[in-house]
Amino acid sequence: MRVATVTPAAPQISLDRVQKTYPNGTVALRDVTLQIPKQDFVFLVGPSGAGKSTLVRLLIREEKATAGTISVEGQDLSRLKRRHLPYLRRKIGMVFQDFKLLPNLTVFQNVGFALRVTEGALRHLKPKVEEVLSIVGLEGKENKYPDQLSGGEQQRVAIARALVHDPRIFLADEPTGNLDPATSWEIIQLLLQINARGTTVLMATHNREIVDVMRRRVVAIEGGQIVRDEDAGGYHAPALESH
Amino acid sequence: MHRLWNRIDFAFSSAWQNFWRNAAVSVASVLIVWVVLLALGSLLLVLHSLDQIVAIEKTKASAISVYLADTTPLSSAMDFKLHLEQDPRVTNVAYVSKDQALARFRQLPALDPSVIDTLGTNPLPASLDVTVRDIRDLGAIDQEVRNSPLVDKSPATNYEPNVIDKIILLARVAGIAGLVLIVGLTGLSVFIIMLTIRTAIYLRRKEIEVMKLVGATDWFVRWPFIVEGLIVGVAGAAVAVLIVGFGYRPAVINLQSVLIFVPLAFDPSYLRIVLAAMLGFGLLLGSVGSYLGVRRFLKQ
Repeated sequence: MRVATVTPAAPQISLDRVQKTYPNGTVALRDVTLQIPKQDFVFLVGPSGAGKSTLVRLLIREEKATAGTISVEGQDLSRLKRRHLPYLRRKIGMVFQDFKLLPNLTVFQNVGFALRVTEGALRHLKPKVEEVLSIVGLEGKENKYPDQLSGGEQQRVAIARALVHDPRIFLADEPTGNLDPATSWEIIQLLLQINARGTTVLMATHNREIVDVMRRRVVAIEGGQIVRDEDAGGYHAPALESH
Repeated sequence: MHRLWNRIDFAFSSAWQNFWRNAAVSVASVLIVWVVLLALGSLLLVLHSLDQIVAIEKTKASAISVYLADTTPLSSAMDFKLHLEQDPRVTNVAYVSKDQALARFRQLPALDPSVIDTLGTNPLPASLDVTVRDIRDLGAIDQEVRNSPLVDKSPATNYEPNVIDKIILLARVAGIAGLVLIVGLTGLSVFIIMLTIRTAIYLRRKEIEVMKLVGATDWFVRWPFIVEGLIVGVAGAAVAVLIVGFGYRPAVINLQSVLIFVPLAFDPSYLRIVLAAMLGFGLLLGSVGSYLGVRRFLKQ
């Protein structure tokens, strides 16, 4: 299956002239065309309200595109039936600025929750949760509650939760938005590690320092349009170079 | 199996948590379900009792006594009897003499026979007891015999159409009033269960957001709330079933001692049907209410 889907002709994520207009008339995306091959690591940058979050929401089909086509893992999202949507989501790990952890559950339960509610067989739950907690470096914190953890640790729990389904794609929407610089770097290292394991990573961010140091592919959005897409790019366009 | 068990376990434990986290609203919805089912059970039993009474009264009422004037000679009475027997609507005519009427009268338990003895003479008329095939013909026969000179005028017969009609009317009024009440309460209870479920959903909004994010199916998200609705329905039904189940027989016995002449009876086989219907209706209320509660919200 891997061999069949990963060909240069069929990128893992592909947007073709995508438009998104919200019911209140706000145009969030206009004519966005973007292709992300498997195992890519992409920064999505741009000012607030540029359309980054809309793009992320379209990829997990929290929103539907108004026009154009989006395909993820070879599936046309506009034709994806609602009852098949959960299975798409299981292929995509997601983390957010606000972590979205459940405060009344322990670290272990928060991560296990993702398996429980997707009807994973319970006897596989414990080893899987332990596996992903060791990936994010939270061994020994299984029985802590989120409010007993630092922000960075909470984001690690969220990352662990996003990893329990062995996602092919990892979407991070401002994952370092609430974190100090040192902690942010730790999270980025973790995302690089996940990427190195073969998972495609798309990270929407405002964090200029990280983007500039990393020299990875940068897609810049402004006013709902892609204004720049370069490999090994920085947060801002080079002064003497246009894409 | 493991997956199914996980699903059931998750639905029931979440539903149980929801119920108590939201206890005041949950108890309110249990109470309204209880009231609806109590009304339903009582109405069914009352209507059934009225039906039984009507059925018994009808068998009694297929006969009337035509009182003969004391001046009527026996031969004329026999001719009249023969005339009535030839009527196709009539199945049987029996002659009851004045003496027989007095003997019957003496047997009535509620009366003191010495009252009659003090009169010296027998005040009771002889009668022809006419049994008809269809009680709806009784009125017509009553009208015909009244005009005969052989018949006593005070009173001419014991025909009293109103008793049955009144019971039937009572049953109909009780049925309609009860039905209106139950329909209204049903709507109210479905609405309150729906609000209960909406509150539970609101309290769980973060969990639901995460569930959808990590790929839980719509039905996996919905089941705990449907189960919560069923718990409300069963809890309300259980209390109502206990009250009706244990209260029916004492109620019948108490009414029998007040309404001596009414043929009221305890019917355990019908009671079982009523209790099953109450439980089923409770489950229906719970599931419809919770389905309405989850339906709109999970579409997005």
